[in-house]
Amino acid sequence: MSPSNILQKFLFPSFTKRLLLRTSLLACATWFIFSFLLIPLRIEGYSMVPTYLDGSFALCWRLQYLFSPPKRGDVVTVRFAGKNVMLLKRIVGLAGDTVSFRNGQLYINKNPVAEPYVINNSKWQLAERIVKPGYVYVVGDNRDTPMQQHKFGQVNSKRIIGGVIP
Amino acid sequence: MNRKIIVIVSLLLSGTLLFWLLPNDEKEIRKNLHQLAALCSSTEGEATITILNSVRKAAKLCRDPCAVKVESFDINGAFSHREFSNYLLMMKRTLPDTHFTFSDTQINFLQEDKAFITTTLSLRGKIKQQRFTDAYELDIIALKTEGKWIFSAFTVVEFMER
Repeated sequence: MSPSNILQKFLFPSFTKRLLLRTSLLACATWFIFSFLLIPLRIEGYSMVPTYLDGSFALCWRLQYLFSPPKRGDVVTVRFAGKNVMLLKRIVGLAGDTVSFRNGQLYINKNPVAEPYVINNSKWQLAERIVKPGYVYVVGDNRDTPMQQHKFGQVNSKRIIGGVIP
Repeated sequence: MNRKIIVIVSLLLSGTLLFWLLPNDEKEIRKNLHQLAALCSSTEGEATITILNSVRKAAKLCRDPCAVKVESFDINGAFSHREFSNYLLMMKRTLPDTHFTFSDTQINFLQEDKAFITTTLSLRGKIKQQRFTDAYELDIIALKTEGKWIFSAFTVVEFMER
């Protein structure tokens, strides 16, 4: 078969039952994967700048925490009422940790934490608090805004939908 | 045989279509939510009379008085139509180019005339030429009064504790 024939066959296949079955299976698999396992994310807002820019895209991997719990430093999606609109935040503290900010520096269990993903630091001041059992402490990477304008805090781990790729 | 199959399939399709298109309580509540979002949204340069009309219609979708609870803003009380309209008007003036949408809406009927709604409210707009987005989880109570569903209580769910 000549290359042009192969190309023609690829671009203009004949509609057989086999093709229909394969197309249907592919469509079903795609729908299942991107609806339940790997959710496409369109980032809106500036709370995770510079790690994730406004208008950029990422994927939420729902099975990230199937066999292991979330770790400090993980970027996760936190649901509201469902999974069509979610918050994108980074876990800085786990259950039992103490979390505080002094002049913009994050302290976990009274130890300063290096945060290479943060480029601009406003002088956030937050008194020490303990993360409750079953909760994690999440913060955005963009610390350039005043603390009052930033959504962060401890959330129930059950609200974490998954990890973020990349 | 073929004719029988065609008739059965047609009947099934018609039944499904009819079931899907017929109005029901859940559809009405969703329609009201969608309408509320549209009425709360605003565009820059919107005529004053349009704003006043939207505000009046939005208030009518809610009970008089309507309970509103937003802990983070220290709001917790029952607001009359007039108060609700005034706050909405103030908000439209402060955020002149803002789009409201409700998503991930789940409706549970507690009684025949009472529904509990969980939804996510998204705001997208501009303040001083800078784009902003925000989202809140809401618990809403809806009541059926005189055959119409109206919203009687709004609570912002504060699931993130600083």
